[in-house]
Amino acid sequence: MTVKIQEPEQSESKYAETARAFRQNVKKDLANAELRENFHGAMNYLMAKRAASFPSDDELETLRNQCKLIKQRALLKLPYLLEKLESNLQANGIHVHWAETITDANEIIAQVITSKNGKHIVKGKSMVSEETALNDYLHARDMEILESDMGEYIVQLAHEHPSHIIMPAIHQNKKQVADLFDKHIDGFDYTTDVDALIGEGRRILRDKFCHADVGITGVNFAVAETGTLCLVENEGNGQMSSAVPNVHIALTGIEKVVELLEDVPPLLSLLTRSATGQAITTYFNMITKPRQSDEKDGPEEVHLVLLDNGRSQAFADEELRQTLQCIRCGACMNHCPVYTRIGGHAYGTVYPGPIGKIISPHMLGLEATKDLPTASSLCGACGEVCPVKIPIPKILQRLRTESVKVHSGSPDELKGAGSNRKPMEATIWKIWSFIHKHQGMYRFSMWVATRLRGLLPSKLGVWTQVRSAPQLAPKTLHERIQARQPRG
Amino acid sequence: MVMDIFERSQAARTSILNKLKQQVEGADYSKLPAEKGFCYPQLPVADMLENFVEHLQANHAQVISVSAENVYQVAINQLRERGIEKLLCGKGSVLAEPLQATLDSAPEQTLKLSIYDSHLADCKQEMFYDMPASISSSRWLIAETGTLVLWPSASEPRTLSLIPPVHIVVAYASTLHANFATLIHNNQWQAQMPTNVLLISGPSKTADIQQTLAFGAHGPKELIVLLVNDLI
Amino acid sequence: MTELNSQHLRHYPNKPKQVYLYGTCLADVLFPDSGIDAIEFLEQQGIDVIFPQGQTCCGQPAYNSGYQQQAKSVALQQIAQFPLDIPIVIISGSCGGMMRHHYPELLKGEPGIEAFCERIFEFTEFLVHVLKIKLTDNGEPEKVAMHTSCAARREMGVHITGASLINQLDNVELVIHKQEKECCGFGGTFAVKHGDISAAMVADKSASLVDADVVRFVSADWGCLMNINGALEYQKQPLRGEHIASYLLARTAGKKAGETDNDS
Repeated sequence: MTVKIQEPEQSESKYAETARAFRQNVKKDLANAELRENFHGAMNYLMAKRAASFPSDDELETLRNQCKLIKQRALLKLPYLLEKLESNLQANGIHVHWAETITDANEIIAQVITSKNGKHIVKGKSMVSEETALNDYLHARDMEILESDMGEYIVQLAHEHPSHIIMPAIHQNKKQVADLFDKHIDGFDYTTDVDALIGEGRRILRDKFCHADVGITGVNFAVAETGTLCLVENEGNGQMSSAVPNVHIALTGIEKVVELLEDVPPLLSLLTRSATGQAITTYFNMITKPRQSDEKDGPEEVHLVLLDNGRSQAFADEELRQTLQCIRCGACMNHCPVYTRIGGHAYGTVYPGPIGKIISPHMLGLEATKDLPTASSLCGACGEVCPVKIPIPKILQRLRTESVKVHSGSPDELKGAGSNRKPMEATIWKIWSFIHKHQGMYRFSMWVATRLRGLLPSKLGVWTQVRSAPQLAPKTLHERIQARQPRG
Repeated sequence: MVMDIFERSQAARTSILNKLKQQVEGADYSKLPAEKGFCYPQLPVADMLENFVEHLQANHAQVISVSAENVYQVAINQLRERGIEKLLCGKGSVLAEPLQATLDSAPEQTLKLSIYDSHLADCKQEMFYDMPASISSSRWLIAETGTLVLWPSASEPRTLSLIPPVHIVVAYASTLHANFATLIHNNQWQAQMPTNVLLISGPSKTADIQQTLAFGAHGPKELIVLLVNDLI
Repeated sequence: MTELNSQHLRHYPNKPKQVYLYGTCLADVLFPDSGIDAIEFLEQQGIDVIFPQGQTCCGQPAYNSGYQQQAKSVALQQIAQFPLDIPIVIISGSCGGMMRHHYPELLKGEPGIEAFCERIFEFTEFLVHVLKIKLTDNGEPEKVAMHTSCAARREMGVHITGASLINQLDNVELVIHKQEKECCGFGGTFAVKHGDISAAMVADKSASLVDADVVRFVSADWGCLMNINGALEYQKQPLRGEHIASYLLARTAGKKAGETDNDS
């Protein structure tokens, strides 16, 4: 059963607007001491866990190189691996759908649900479904969709979205979770005991799993060779969502495909250790077929939805393509001094932190995300821990270049290229360059500057809001050396 | 133009693949750099087994060394200690018959063996609300991470290891592999992937609230591994 | 792509008779003492130091702001100032990282660019790996901390060479401060474009340096020093950071640390 519809309206992702509000979000969240404390504690915990899980630098570096190459090989063969994945999945009895936009992905999912008369939907953790704002879409069509990952459940109750890709509710402490449960769950016996809070979530969600007719999950690795969808998790909600309801819909980005089954073990090892410092998660679930005729459980139908949503734009440039190597471990955010201070929501994007800064421009365009590439000191902590060696700082620098360049209107240009170009700033850099490439001009300018040092104001905008102004030297190094060592 | 969403999916497929192919068509795969994996030191089996147990225990599984003879009695004892009177076992599972025989040989036992013999859809209520424990076998073990590899089948459905709050797994030391990579490679999984493979490395857990570990998030709260050392 | 912490992979030349000094734009107009101190220190090691008067800035500010063309023309101007095939010693890890690791891509195709980048040495790296220096400490016992700029740490390995130099000073105890690896929040134009975030970062960095209970801290980068010292001064904290070249010169020459030979 399908409903004939018009071409979908290309509505902008709701995250474009929140990303544009980056500066306001930052101001608000930096001022929230409790939030900063929650993030600070969590990031220190995750950094320590990761460090402890890699006792050998040699092993870590070998694995990082290996996994980088595995992902680069998969990307070089991407269209062919996607075709192979599709044909193997279909041979296994799994339906494959393709979507270029988030609206299309949502619509495919809604249609699959409708065709099975689904009403109660449970969702395992899926960042791609956050990307498509699937919950909003299904709610608007009177379908009940419940998040089942504990963190996602908390976030859904609070009408928020995840502030971290691995630990969605990391911005809340247990007191805040208890208050939330108190507000939303009838008969909740108030407690801040974490075991009891999880027990409460378990009780409610088990009931939902028992009655759900459709389960939705993401995918961590899609293996082309065998047509296998892999799910990494600790709680068991991914299994509950993929094994208990009669229909399982998996939603993922096109970059999640890997070529070989043997590519999986090193990626899995790096993923879990980089993310939470675990040698392996409690569950690693490999789904290759729907329920077979002699089997007693598992879904009768399995669907995979492959989403582009800007990924092919990143793919079209060899440097930016490296963005798609990401295995979504979250280590870059855990180690990012900016993320630690502003938290995940301030970014206004689905994917926060360093990886969010380099992937979101492809999803939302550089205009909506123009403040993200510059919101980095380029300290390099993200690149240093990235398990697949994405040169995040280099890509940030590249996106800065793209966003200040002169907009050419060429179809190969990134969406929103040139949208952060300010005539005044461009002129300043031209003057700067002119001075610095003419040594006489430079020396004269610096000579003047140092002679006028007394005129340097003690207030220098944002710099002096928390710092004293620097003092110019009475004479430049150039001058002093010339006086000292005349040969120059 | 009116196009239904599944037709549009085909159009999207063409468009996406064309865009990607435009970039990498004709790429020379022979130029791909060699991928070097890390050479893990080969450990004696006894050390591997020790690692396996240590990792599982660190992940809050209970590991009990048993003999091939007393494995069923130990399972029954474990459940009795917990006051559990019902145990779910797969229909046609290798464990079913010997378990029943052990129960039959001691009439004072109160434990009832329940057999997973209907479709989940037909026994969901019982599975979720009236099934305190389950038992299943593992096909392989992984030393490096303390992992049980379950290969669910018609005789041991996958939800057996997922829904009941206490899950017992019978594991044989002779099925131990050093790591996941060698396990896949040595057994050529590529050629034989079943409906579902499950790697389990402890009871269900979460640290989603303030990084505080809590067990039994959605799956079993307890994982009991009965380890038969059949290497000696 | 930049290979991080490339020190251990690098082939180091023998001790040269002559080197160039790259003073950096920041030291030029704000902190020239450290340039003079670095020259004095190298001369004491028997090395002839040449300071080409045509040098200006490595181009990093424009490069990091996305103005590639502007960065490129300035970078080319720098290269032209260093014709002799001798090491170029830079008193900033971050500018060193720019010239050693980012020039190859920025100036791709320019003749001799690889050879030029091979001649770039950060000051502490040069002392440890090329001079294989042995320091004699003539100063009073004291505790110091070290802050390594992120580029210096990740591109030039200065956290290793800097610490190894401080550890050679018998009377100096190097104290590792909390979150020692973390960025101070400078990041060039970042500190201005995202002043709120930068302020939160420098507040934490300065607090952890104060908590370390040291008499001073040293760094090989004036960008960070300007940022952290500015914050400490604003907070009316007595603690200050000093460039490692000045610190080493003072400790080894028996001059009191912190004392500078002002405009002479």
